[in-house]
Parts: sequence; C-alpha cells; structure tokens
Amino acid sequence: MADKEATIYIVDLGSSMSDCHNGRLESDLDWSMRYIWDRISNTVAASRKTWNVGVIGVRTEDTSNPLQDQEDGYDNISVLQELGPMNLEAMRALQSRIKPNDCDAGDIVSAIVLAIEMIRRFTKKLKYHRKIVLVTDGMAPIDGSDDFDEIAAKMKDSEIQLVVLGVDFDDAEFGFKEEDKPSTKRENERLLKLLVDQCDGLYGTMAEAISNLEIPRIKPVRPYKTYDGPLTLGDPNEHKDAMSISVERYFKTHKATIPPASRVVSKVGEGDPSKPSEGANDEEMQGVESTSFAGITQARTYKVNDPDAPGGKRDVEFESLAKGYEYGRTAVHISESEYNITKLETTKSFSIVGFIHQEKYNPFLNMGEAGMTVAQRFNDAAALKLSSLIHSLHELESYAIARIVIKDGKEPALVLLAPHIDVDFECLYDVPLPFAEDVRNYAFPPLDKIITVSGNTITKDHRNLPSKELSEAMDDYVDAMDISSWEKDDDGDRTMEYAAVEDVFTPPLHRVNQVVRHRAIYPDQPVPPTPAVLLKYANPPEDLVIKVKSELEDLIDKANVKKVPAKAKGRRDKGDKPKPISGLDIDALLSQPENKRTKINPDNSIPEFKQMVEYAEDESVFEDAAKQMGGIIKSLITKSFGDSGYDRAIENLGEFRRAMTENEVSGIYNSFIRDLKRRLLSGELGGDRRELWWQIKGARLGLIDNNPVTGVESSTVTPEEAAEFYKK
Amino acid sequence: MADRADYERKDEEEEEDEIGEHDYKAQKDALIFAIHVSDSMLEAPPESDDKKADKDPAVYAALKCAYLVMQQRIISNPKDMMGIILFGTEQTKYRDEQNLSYPHCYVYTDLDIPASEDVKALKSLVEEGEGAGEVLVPSGERFNMSNMLFLANHMFTTRAANFGSKRLFIITDDDNPHADEKQIQDNTAIRAKDLYDLGAIIELFPVTRGDSKFDFSKFYDDIIYRDAVVDETYAGRVTSSKSGNGLTLLNSLVSNVNSRQTAKRSYFSNMPFELGPGLTISVKGYNIIQKQAPARSCYVWLDGEKAQIAVGETARLAQDSARTVEANEVKKAYKFGGEYVFFSEEEQKSIKQFGGPIIRIIGFKDRPLLKFWASIKKSIYIFPSEVGYVGSTRVFTALWQKLLKSKKVGIAWHIARTNGNPQLVAIIPSREEVDEKSGAKSLPAGLWLYPLPYADDIREGPEKPTLVRTTDQLTDKMNMIVRQLQLPGAAYNPAKYPNPALQWHYKILQALALEEEVPDKPEDGTIPKYRAIHKRCGGYIQDWSRVADDVLGQLQEQKAIKRELEDNDTEEQPRTAKKSRTVVSRASPGGSGLSNAELKEKIQDDTLKKLTVADLKGIMTERGIDVKGLKKADLVERLEQWIDDNA
Repeated sequence: MADKEATIYIVDLGSSMSDCHNGRLESDLDWSMRYIWDRISNTVAASRKTWNVGVIGVRTEDTSNPLQDQEDGYDNISVLQELGPMNLEAMRALQSRIKPNDCDAGDIVSAIVLAIEMIRRFTKKLKYHRKIVLVTDGMAPIDGSDDFDEIAAKMKDSEIQLVVLGVDFDDAEFGFKEEDKPSTKRENERLLKLLVDQCDGLYGTMAEAISNLEIPRIKPVRPYKTYDGPLTLGDPNEHKDAMSISVERYFKTHKATIPPASRVVSKVGEGDPSKPSEGANDEEMQGVESTSFAGITQARTYKVNDPDAPGGKRDVEFESLAKGYEYGRTAVHISESEYNITKLETTKSFSIVGFIHQEKYNPFLNMGEAGMTVAQRFNDAAALKLSSLIHSLHELESYAIARIVIKDGKEPALVLLAPHIDVDFECLYDVPLPFAEDVRNYAFPPLDKIITVSGNTITKDHRNLPSKELSEAMDDYVDAMDISSWEKDDDGDRTMEYAAVEDVFTPPLHRVNQVVRHRAIYPDQPVPPTPAVLLKYANPPEDLVIKVKSELEDLIDKANVKKVPAKAKGRRDKGDKPKPISGLDIDALLSQPENKRTKINPDNSIPEFKQMVEYAEDESVFEDAAKQMGGIIKSLITKSFGDSGYDRAIENLGEFRRAMTENEVSGIYNSFIRDLKRRLLSGELGGDRRELWWQIKGARLGLIDNNPVTGVESSTVTPEEAAEFYKK
Repeated sequence: MADRADYERKDEEEEEDEIGEHDYKAQKDALIFAIHVSDSMLEAPPESDDKKADKDPAVYAALKCAYLVMQQRIISNPKDMMGIILFGTEQTKYRDEQNLSYPHCYVYTDLDIPASEDVKALKSLVEEGEGAGEVLVPSGERFNMSNMLFLANHMFTTRAANFGSKRLFIITDDDNPHADEKQIQDNTAIRAKDLYDLGAIIELFPVTRGDSKFDFSKFYDDIIYRDAVVDETYAGRVTSSKSGNGLTLLNSLVSNVNSRQTAKRSYFSNMPFELGPGLTISVKGYNIIQKQAPARSCYVWLDGEKAQIAVGETARLAQDSARTVEANEVKKAYKFGGEYVFFSEEEQKSIKQFGGPIIRIIGFKDRPLLKFWASIKKSIYIFPSEVGYVGSTRVFTALWQKLLKSKKVGIAWHIARTNGNPQLVAIIPSREEVDEKSGAKSLPAGLWLYPLPYADDIREGPEKPTLVRTTDQLTDKMNMIVRQLQLPGAAYNPAKYPNPALQWHYKILQALALEEEVPDKPEDGTIPKYRAIHKRCGGYIQDWSRVADDVLGQLQEQKAIKRELEDNDTEEQPRTAKKSRTVVSRASPGGSGLSNAELKEKIQDDTLKKLTVADLKGIMTERGIDVKGLKKADLVERLEQWIDDNA
C-alpha cells in the first residue's frame, strides 16, 4: 500500500484562467488550485519520501523544460517543480510560482508528452504508481496534429494514469453543461475526451472534483495480524483427540488516531518568549512559522520525603533508584534480576473455553476493539474445519468464548467469538470480554418500581413512573423515529440503513486534517468552517423530524418535563431540609441552647460552620461564623508542615466559599481571599506557601464574581476581575 | 526510559477518557469499617457437622470481610483510604495513645492507604487470632455511639479532608444500643448530622441470626440520611446478613459489602439527554465497565531508613536550546510535513468545538442492525436524574421499557464533556441481572451508551482467503461438540473469571510486601478445562475429524479432475476465454496461489524445485516463512520442512 508514487500536475496558467466564470467569485485558477493544493498538501502531510510530485505550468510567459531545445512545440511550458518528494517548504516555493500569466500560447498536449517523459526518466522500470493530472479551462487551441495513438500507447506502456479535470467542462454523469461554450473549448473538450478514452484515463469536470474535496478520505491501513497459530478445543499436547485449526486473527476495528497537537515553544531570540501569544505577537504567529518553533522534550527529576530538608523533600539521583511497585502505600522493591517475577508466564495460544447462547450476551459488556479470525491461507483443511465451527455456531445461535495469548508472555484475554457467513467469505468476529475485576458493583434502584423508605413497593401512579399515556406516546414516537431504512438508495427509495457504520466519519479527525491542511496552504486565512458532512449525524435527519412532528408533540405533552432553573440547582427550599430516615426533627435538636454552635471547633469545623450559618438568626452570627472560619483556615496553613495541612485548608475554604455564594454574600469572602492571597505570597503564614496558592487557583476558589448563575449577582467583582485575580 | 515515554504518551491519550467530574475535591474514597465488639457478636455459631456451616463468630466474619475488602482495594483503588474501628471494646486506642475523648473505641487500622503492615496485622488477627484476647474484648460498661461517630468524623477530617467520598460502614447485630438513653440518642443524632454535613455517608450492615429481625426504626433510622435530592441512585437499605440457605455469614456479609464497596462516582452528571427537538431530560453516567490493570511500576529509593517511593517531577526542555520551558510558554501546534502548523489559542479551541455535552437521539434502529463487530470501546451506563429536568425519571423509564419491548436501540450523538470528542453511540437497554446464588444484583437495569466505530475505525481484513465450505454432515458433528460444551446457564458470567495476570501480579507483590513465601503456581481460571473437554467431547471430536478428512479427500479428488479439465480447456481455447469462479487457487503476482495440498503433491513428485525463486519466495512469505538470504536449495528444503510440519 505504501507503494512508490510519481504524480505530475499540469496546470494551465494562461491568461483566461484569471477570469471568473459561472457566478464564482474566485478566478478559475484559484478555484482549480483548491483541488491541486488539497492533493499536494495531502502528500506533504503524509511526509513519505517515496511519494513524488512534479508540477508543470502551461501557457507560461517563460519556457523552461528539458525538451524545449530538442523539439518544436514545447514553448511556453515551464517545469515549476521537478519530480521529487514534497515538503512544506517546497510547497511554499511552488505557491509563489502558481499565478496566471499574460499569455495564451502553449500546448497542453505537449505538456502531457513532457510529463510522460519526466515520469519515464524518473521512475525507470521500477514499481510505481504513475499519474498525470491535467487541469485546464480548455481555452487555448490544441495542436490536433499530435498523434494521440502514440501518446496513449506510451502511457499504457509506462502504466501512467491520465486524469483530465476541466474548468466547466460538460459532464453528463455529474450533470453539468456549460451553455454558450466557445467553439475552441468545445473542440478541446472533444479532443481531450478522446485522448483520455484511448488511454483508459479519467475525465471529469472541476466542479465535481471540488465538491468531492469535502468528503473525507479514509486512510487505508495495511491489515494487521494479531495472531497466527492454532485455534484449539482441548489441549493437543495432552489429548490426541483435541481439535486444532490453523488460523490467523486480524484487527476488525481499531480506533483511528486523531492527529495530536504537539507541545512547542517559540525559539529563543524570535519573539519574546516570556510573553504569551497575545497582542502584537499574534499576527506573525499565525500560520506556518516553520523556523520559530522548537519541540519540547521532558526531563524528569525525582524527590523523596526528608523531614530535615527545606519543604520536607529532597532530590535524589535517578541512578540511585531501584524499580518496584506500590502495594498500598508500601513501596515494594524488586531487583533487576527478578523483575519479571510479577508477570504471569504464558505461552502463545488461542483456545476455546466453552459456548454460550447468543441471546444471553449483552453487547455493552464489550471491552473494546473487535478482531476477525480466518483460516490460514492455502490451507484447505483449516478452511473446512473452521467453516464447520462457524456454521455450527450459526445454526445453534451460539457464541464461543476463547482464551487468547497473542504472544508468549503476554497476559491472557478472553474473547467472544461470533460466526459470520457471507456469499464468498466466512470468518469469526471477536470482541474482548471483561474479567471479574473490570465490572464494578454499583447498586441502583429499580426503574419500573419505587421502593419507599418504609419498604413498600409502588408500581404505578407515581411521579417517577411513566403513566399509561406517556408509555403509549413513547411507543408511537420511537416507532415513528425509526431510521432502520431511512437512507435513500440510488433510486431515491428509503431502503438503506441510516447512519450505517461505514457512512459515518470521525469528526475531529477529519476536522483537524482539514484545518491543518488549510492553514498550511493559506496561512493568512481564518480557520474554515466545519464541513457539513462531519456534522450530518449531530442531529436527527430534518425530514424525519418533520415527519414525526405530531408524535413528538404528543410525547412532549405527556412527558410534561420541567427544566429546573439554573439557580435552583443544588439549593433546596427551606422546608426541604435533609432529615434522617426516621424524620427526626434534627433542626429542633440543634436549635436547643445546649446544642447550638457558637464557637466552631477546628476539628469539626465544616459541620459546625455549616450549622452555624444555617441556623444564624441575624447577620452578626453569620459574620461571626465567617470570621471564625477565616481564622481556622489561616491557623491550618500556619501550622502546616510542608503541604500536610493544605488539603484541609482547601476543603474549609471551599465550604466557606460555597456557603457565602449560596447565601448571596460575596464581600466577606472576597476580602478574606484577597488578604489570604497576599499573605500566602508574602510568606506571612509560616513560610513559602506559593504551592498552596497554586492549588487554590487550580481549585478555582478565588473571588466570587457577579455571574448570575455561578456567582452572586450583588458582587462588586466582574468575571474579568475574578479571572485577573488568578493571574499572579 | 522508553517505557516511561510510552506511559506519558498514553496519559495524554487517555486524558479525556479517564478524568471524571471534578471540582476542588479529590476523586478519592475514604472508607471506615466500624465493627461492633459485643458478647453476642463474639458468640460462636451453633455446632454443626455440616462442613459448610458457619464457624465464625460475627466479629470474625466482619473482620475477614474487611480483610478481603482491604486486599481488593489495594488492587482496584490504589489511591483510596481505609480504616477499621472496633467499638464497644474494653480497650481504647487512637493514634498510639489512650485517647480518652473516644472511650471504648479501638482504632485497629487508622484511616490511610493500607500499608503492608496493616494487611499483615489484620491477616494475623483473622487467621490466627493474634492479639484477639487483647483487642476483641467487649467493654463491661456501655459504650456511647456518639463517641464512635465523632471519632470517625475526626479520622475523615484529618486524613481525608478533601476526598470526594467518605463512608462509614457500621457492622452490628444490636438494633437498639441505647434504649432508654435519650441523651445519648440525641447526641448520636447530632454527631450523625455532623457527619452528614461533612459529606460522609453512613451505611449500616445489620447482622441477624435465625429468624430475628433487625428493626431500623428503633435507633438507626435517626442517624442514617437518605437524601433523594442529592442521590437519586440510592439503592435502598442493605439487607441483613445472616447465615443460612447454604451461605455462611461471611459470604452473606461479603456479598452485601461488595454491593456497596465501590464508591459510586459518576462519570458525568446533569447531562442533557435529548430524545427529540424540544424534549430533553437529564441523566447521570457511570463507568461500570472499567479495565483494571496492574499499577505501573515506580522507582524506589532504598538509601533511607525505610524504602520510599521517589516522586517524579517533569521539567520541559526546549529541543533546540535545552533550556527549561515555563508552562505559560508552551503552545500547541500540529506537525505537518515535518514542520509545525500553528493556531492561536482561540482557533485551537474552535477547531474541535462540536458543541457542549449532550446525548442527542438521531433515531432508532432494530436491534439486529447493531453488528456484532461494531465495537470500539467500553460502554457507559446512564441513569435518570431529576436535577436538570423534573420528570426525567418517568420519561427515561418509558423509553427503557419501549426499547426492551420492541427490541430496538437508540442511535445518538454524544459528547461527554466540554471540548470532548463526539461519539456516535447505540443506546441499549439492560434488564436487572441478579446472581442466583447470592441474590446480589450483578448488572443494574438502565440504558447503556455503546460507542459505535466510525468508518475510519474499520480495518481491512486480509485478502479473502480460500473458502472451503463445510458440509451439513460435518456441521452436524460440530453441533454435537458445541452442545456438549455449554458454559453454565449458557451465558458468560464475568464474576467467574478473575483476571489471572492481574491477580498474579498482586499475589506476588503481597507476598513480597508481607515477606511471605512467594507462591509458585498461579491460579488461572481462564484456562479451558481440558480434561473435562476430553472426557465429554473426545469421541465427538474424533468423529468430526474423520468426517473432515473424508470431505477433504473428496475435495482433493474433485480439484484434481477440475484441473485436468482446465488443462484440456486451455489447450483448446484462448486463455482469456473463461475463468471458473469455483477454482480454489488463483494466480496472483509472484506466481503463488498453490494450496498446501498442491504443494504436498509437488513434494511427492519432486517438482517443487521447478518453481522459480520468486515463486518460492512468494509462496513462503504468504505462509510467514522466513526467506531472507536463502538460496534456492535452502528455500526448497525449508518449504518442504514446513509442509511436513503444517499440512
């Protein structure tokens, strides 16, 4: 697949290409180049040394090509880029040379001959994918005297594919016809079509090529074999009658990687590295600045606790460290020679454990990517035997469970094998199964009944249970919204599955590819919008939504769902306070003078602060609680040895801030946190406490702003000020 | 060093996946076991000749249960803390002193990530009763429950201040420890409210004997909170643990504790779930399925008094100048053709902006359209929540019932978090599954977001291999085998298959940490029961093999005839005239396409050497035989050897 490639693009750069046609605002050249840059940038992105690109310009003012001195008819043809690997720099250089010329002479068929010659010289007799792509508006006369038969024969002989893409060429298949076509163009279209037909090439109109650009291309990946060896039932080493079939297992699905962004840094001396990428720097940062970024590597240092060292930690040499594992909080060191002691010894194998019924398996237990198992190639015996297993599973509606060790020493996995039978192909598909440890034991209440605190079971007439009407409305809606065969086939009938796996592209993957390519080609332009094809499945199909309108309205009516206002979330009405299951009036108990919280115990600070605030009868108690809490936080920090008290300080701070926000009081907290920040940074609270400030920042426990949802409306702090506060 | 770089890369990839919801609280769990030590809890079960009968007094069953949980948590939640309080004891102990604030409470294990000493001490107590005479002695005077709660409060406050989950498990057989003591009851209620306000949850695990009932209303309903607003997923009270029905008290307790053991952490909450334009409800998501792997290795510093884990810190260096790079200098750029393509921060954000968190149904499909192989990663369980939309639960339930009834799945566009990647998911309903033996729920009822692969995630298979289809007779023989080897219940029960590699890893680590003898043979429940297979199916497999050989023989003959016919054909007709579809072997570049059987014939006729070197190499690479640097004679020899061994 990663075969060598040699592709030459022939671009018509004649003066007529600078015009705009058919209502387009772009010149024909810019429009056509959208296609060519897309193709070339694809090659650049792949950065394969064996993919070679050449570019020839026709109808150029200059003439510069290897054939110009040998024969006539090669005037006004320029080789803009010799065949060779393409990189970003070469692409940039090329961009400056692609511009319309004030020239009408130059024969495109001669350019094809030149391209054939260049490819032949470059690729010799070696194995290559050879291709010539011609882009023209067909406005310049073609020298009809050229021997098309000879050219076509040459191309066939060298296995070169010719692709002709014409600006506004007629194409019945795509459904395009240009009216009032100049006769030269009509004749040229005829000639080019003739040539393409003679050499079995491709002929099309540019509009089609451009419209296809948005359709994501799937990167082909070589089949990856994950296992080859016997699939057994029983142990052939132990029992002679055990079953053993030679098989090969491949990936069936494998997550395609979304191109990751790398961490980079501006190179020293170019731009001010201490400044973030804002303001004046931004302009020059835009786009491809190949020279101004450097990659980032990571260096690791190691620290251990040492009560005598400043800050309680000290560096240790990497060389002095041994390898090991954590068992709970105990470090278990394992010597180099015993390093494999915790590894389970296994030998490569693929062996059936047993069989289950298909209907008794829930696909949501799947742990991930699927595989496929086929018989060993050219092994009729294996193929026959595997086929009998596949058909048996199919007939008995069963799956097999198998244990697989893909290589000696690898950890065993359990997979579920399912039969697949097609006209000319059979295999076993498999998905990985969870082990006992992979399934967490979470208990949830039942959905179709309510169990009350007193232990009674309610199965109807409860606000959390659907009424009969709601169930019926849901029934109708789900049936109406069926997309099992909503996609139209070639005849326009709805017979095909909508959103079939094969039709849905990974949005972020193609989006990143699109914008990176776009930015590389057009560094000065803003990021283009997301192509519609990537968002097609973000919403239900519009025509379907129209169709189900009445069912949906009925369902909305019967569902009678009410949105909870943003502010009310997490807050409760005064009457709806938490109570013990018994309904004991805990408030009354806590309001009794002997139980009332007045002096907050630092060891029970959060509950007592909460209760003091909750039962505060007047402002002074409220303020007193806040003041005590502030004191406790400061004392926790001051007494903290190293970072030992930070967790508690942050927890108290979080509760303090939450209580203040909830009670719509921002001033007390804001002045406290301002003061605290100052003290932390100035080292007033028992030493260097910058680390704690970073943690507070990370926990977003800064100023309470006047955002109506997350903050307190009466706050005098704007969200901008609050954001500024986090910056040091 | 290479493995470390790998880990870091992995981290970045998994970043999006693993981070749950977070505010300033750490996503960690602190769990305290509080075990009641009393005469009745120490009472030995009645004598019995039954081998399976209970031998443990309740206190021991509780401690064994705690011991099991401690070992499990070291594997599954290595960052979480655990502690054990014994209450009602004669002795009092908290942090190495006779702490008089908490009389008759004995902190056996202080709240922390368990260390090997903790495991060791607990092990010797439950297995050998070491120290039991000192520790497991009930107090002569009545203890005060409020003290125990306040002690737990103090342990949480000082050790696990910012943990997102704090839980106190009380194991007792006394449903009314403070009858007629109003003052103590009140104090306990207040201490319980403190715990509630601290964010700690109390779970009660009652122990009963025979037909006796545990009456919550006498005392415990005053200290246990059920806050429907905060936790809609509260599963109700724990049933009482007792021996009987073939279950020991320990089994019963373990099963009950296990059902609550993992702190329920939501993967997302208040997620809008749009059933159609204009109809949205809110749901919570949970990672019920989660791959459990051994914790990565670390570096240990051995030069101090005690072995210590060295904590790594990463500094970033610029590749060109090797200078240290500050966090605010770091920018992100995409590699393109060997160079960097840069976007401003705002652009960077806009690129991958596909909308906010959502589950949006785009239609429904028949269940069979969900292809078996359309699997790409684990599913997320969702459960309704009234927090965002009142009425969510009934709508969710109606949808769940409809999907079950009509065997349909929803198809939805799902974004798990802000700036997250969109994923197309199938919404699959599940019925509640109950383990028949223990009665514990193994899978909850609800809906699952089952990620579907994208077109980009589908891999091409190998070139279509030779199809040799089975015969009915042969399939029948195989059917016999498949029928014989059905797993219990004809279903896969994950609980029956612990991960052997994971278990072995920790077993060895535990032995090393506790300085015990290292076991030499791993337990691996995933290895097929070879002997049983042999016993039950040996004969059937032999039958099947015989029939397969017969069919193969016939096939060989047919092929030979066909080849002859074809050879005749080619003499009479031009080559291109006809190509039979049924021909099994097919010429491909490299001149191979010979089946093993055909090669075997060639060996017998000694015509293998007539093939060209290129042909030989083609044939051999297809079979994965190494051909590097071999001369023709060697190639022939190696191929012959391979055919002998393999065909």
